[in-house]
Amino acid sequence: MKETPPRRADPSPGKDLARRRRERIAIGIVAVLVIGLTILEANLAAVGGMAFSSNIVIFALINLNVILIVLLIFLVTRNVFKLILDRKRNILGAKIRSRLVFIFIAFSLIPTILLFVAAANITTTSIKSWIGGRVGVALTNALDIVRGNLEKEAASLSGVADQAASAVLRKSRKDSLKTSLEKSRKGSSPDVSLLVVGRGGVLAASGDVTGEIATQIRSRLKGEEGNVVRGGVMTFIGESYASAVRRLPDGRAVVAVKTIPRDEANKIRDIAKAYDEYHQVRLLDDPIRASYIATLILITLLVVFAASWMGIYLARQITVPIQMLAEGTEKVASGDLDVRLDYRSDDEFGHLVGSFNRMTADLKGMKKSLEDANVSLSSTFEELRRRSRFIETILTNISTGVIVIDRLGRISMINKVAELILSIKTDKVLGKPYKEVVREEHYETVRTLSREVGETPGRKVERQVDLSVMGKEISLRVSVTSLQGDDGEYLGLVVAFDDLSQAMRLQRIMAWREVARRIAHEIRNPLTPIQLSTERLQKKFAPLHDRDPAFSECTQTILSEVESLKSLVEEFTRFARMPAPAFKEGNLVEELRPVVETFRAAHSGIAWEFEGEDIPTVWFDPFQIRRAVTNLLENAASALGGQGRVAVRVAHEPGLGSVRVSVRDDGPGIPSGDRDRLFEPYFSRKEGGTGLGLAIVSAIASDHQGTVVVRDNVPRGSVFEIEIPVRPKRRG
Amino acid sequence: MRYVVISLVFLVVFVTPVLSADTSPKPRITDIHGEAKEGKAKVHFTLRNAFSPEMVEALKSGIEISFETVVRVQRHHRNWFDATVGKITFSRSVRYDVLSRVYRLNRGKEVDLLPDIFTALAGMTRYEIVVPLTSPVTPGKRYQALVRTRLDKVGLSEPLRSILFFSSLWDLETEWAIGAIAAP
Repeated sequence: MKETPPRRADPSPGKDLARRRRERIAIGIVAVLVIGLTILEANLAAVGGMAFSSNIVIFALINLNVILIVLLIFLVTRNVFKLILDRKRNILGAKIRSRLVFIFIAFSLIPTILLFVAAANITTTSIKSWIGGRVGVALTNALDIVRGNLEKEAASLSGVADQAASAVLRKSRKDSLKTSLEKSRKGSSPDVSLLVVGRGGVLAASGDVTGEIATQIRSRLKGEEGNVVRGGVMTFIGESYASAVRRLPDGRAVVAVKTIPRDEANKIRDIAKAYDEYHQVRLLDDPIRASYIATLILITLLVVFAASWMGIYLARQITVPIQMLAEGTEKVASGDLDVRLDYRSDDEFGHLVGSFNRMTADLKGMKKSLEDANVSLSSTFEELRRRSRFIETILTNISTGVIVIDRLGRISMINKVAELILSIKTDKVLGKPYKEVVREEHYETVRTLSREVGETPGRKVERQVDLSVMGKEISLRVSVTSLQGDDGEYLGLVVAFDDLSQAMRLQRIMAWREVARRIAHEIRNPLTPIQLSTERLQKKFAPLHDRDPAFSECTQTILSEVESLKSLVEEFTRFARMPAPAFKEGNLVEELRPVVETFRAAHSGIAWEFEGEDIPTVWFDPFQIRRAVTNLLENAASALGGQGRVAVRVAHEPGLGSVRVSVRDDGPGIPSGDRDRLFEPYFSRKEGGTGLGLAIVSAIASDHQGTVVVRDNVPRGSVFEIEIPVRPKRRG
Repeated sequence: MRYVVISLVFLVVFVTPVLSADTSPKPRITDIHGEAKEGKAKVHFTLRNAFSPEMVEALKSGIEISFETVVRVQRHHRNWFDATVGKITFSRSVRYDVLSRVYRLNRGKEVDLLPDIFTALAGMTRYEIVVPLTSPVTPGKRYQALVRTRLDKVGLSEPLRSILFFSSLWDLETEWAIGAIAAP
């Protein structure tokens, strides 16, 4: 399964900051809402007539709880959904963040919930055991004992109260109430006091009874007013007193009070208080438990909230640098070395990010160096290529054939002229060892040259070499130079050669022209006297020898031979005095077409073909070219003997900048042994031929800076080709 | 998403309290009557439905229950705002003393020790209040008393107060009740 590459997170840190700012604002708004809602609730309650008391706090806390729960659910859900979405979208760092958040939440949620459940259970169990246990019984018993003791004390005071009441009723006019009480109190315990209480308050008192106790007893009396008391004595008890009350017929009451010592009174108060608290707890069992559980829930929520938030925060702390590093690495991989991660921290991540930034900076520096080196190398390479092109141009345009052989003996370069001279194709020989390319008959020559180069001190050898290439004998002036590096290392050979064949042919033609001129000069001079003398002998002595035909035949022979010699001399003269070509720019095809038509008319037994391509205008001497082609056509017609086929074709060679006129016949052909001397004067296989026709053709071709070659026609016959440049070079 | 959350918050905040409202009889003030003369107004009224069974039970358990009452005396104007001529705010509380087995009815200035709960509850629900007036009473004019009572505090023991500090055990608050006051 193909894994899709992770996508980058939101690349803009500004957006993240803005989002966090929005979250903070949202939290602030929620807080304000809580307060506002609480106030609104309170007002709504008042306006709507709903019961309202001091429960603003509980409203606020309930709202806070609700908001916290909602916030918690919202934040956790939002973050979980965001993580899920990020994972689905294959956002970089989402997987590790989701794992971390899950682990943090799980590690906080599970123990917190366990703790909550345990605490709630413990609380509930504790309250139940406290309420339902023996605490209540003990408290009730303690209170009953205290109350019983106090009741006993109060009952024991009944006699005192009765005596005091009797004394009060019996008192004489002289005695005051207090005196009566004092008398009655004699013999009683010192902590026992006596009071006479009327409707307006305490009328008389004897002993150290406190005002508070007196007030309480008076209130009790008021509360019991109207109640019928069996035996006439009532007992009142309190935390700090026990009393017996005897009502008098006149509405007054005589009270005997025993004050409980302070320490004992405090203990009684504590017992009563504990009893109260116990019953309150028992009564408020559910609210207390609810309160505990609510507090636990609140704490649990806060812990979970804080743990979740901390988990998300820590996960972000861990994943943000990882995400930044991953994105940075991706950018670096795509070639962006300007990446700088903006993350500062003292921990390992900060160190890692710092190392990454240094690495990208180093890479950028190295890349810059490489680019500079590349530019320099490119420049050097361009210069080398330019020079190479220059050298190639020179080698292409020079008239010398050049072949370069590397140190392994492979042909590494060959120029156009070498191709033409040696009739080889560069693509077939380039890169091949020269020993494989050189023909067997030439191998010895090449080996000799190579050996001589190695033996010569200057590492250079020049020789004239005669070769046969494609059946054509050529003379080459060969220069072989051994290439050596600065350290003397052998690098290969440079073979340069000039084709001397044309030059030698020209030299021979020139020589033959000189010979012809001299022969003509030497022969022509005695011919006229010989002819005149022979004609005089005929005229003077013919009548004397009319019976002897020998005289007449001999003189006639002399005259005919002289005539032959004259025509021969004339040919020689014409060959020797061949003028320099008068170049004109013209259409070569149109110039040659009439020549072929003339031969077609004269030799009807031969099939004459003429093919002229659309060639450019050529600079040539029309007279000389016509003469050269005429000579070739005469030779062809002569070779065919009145039957056969002659094809004349004028073609343009754009690559060579030349035009080629080829005359092809299907005659007997030229023996290979005659080809070397074919264009030399006075070489002829024809009976009666002067041997100057092809020499003149060769001379005309040379005068036009061209060449003439002969080769075999396939399947039979021969082909003569005159090749002249379209625009001859100026000489001198 | 955010609209869902906001809707939930409003649901919880507003709807839940309404749904959970107590359906028991509401406390109210009745039988307001009295007389205003010589710079003071004597106002009688009765507080009904003040004590729920739970409150009575709590009272018996030693929890102190205190009511705060506001009495406002106004001169009534038919086409104008009523003018307050006297106002008094007072508290009355009751607590059961488990040792002496009496109910301590605190009327402010004096404490009555009452032997039974009926007398104690009667003391907490029947009022005869003297309101000092700030302006002289005009005989023959129409006067009225406005009375409102609410649960002032529930006297829990110290540990329970710390546990239940944020909770209110019972809500009690009457609406303003109006009764005519004679001005002879």
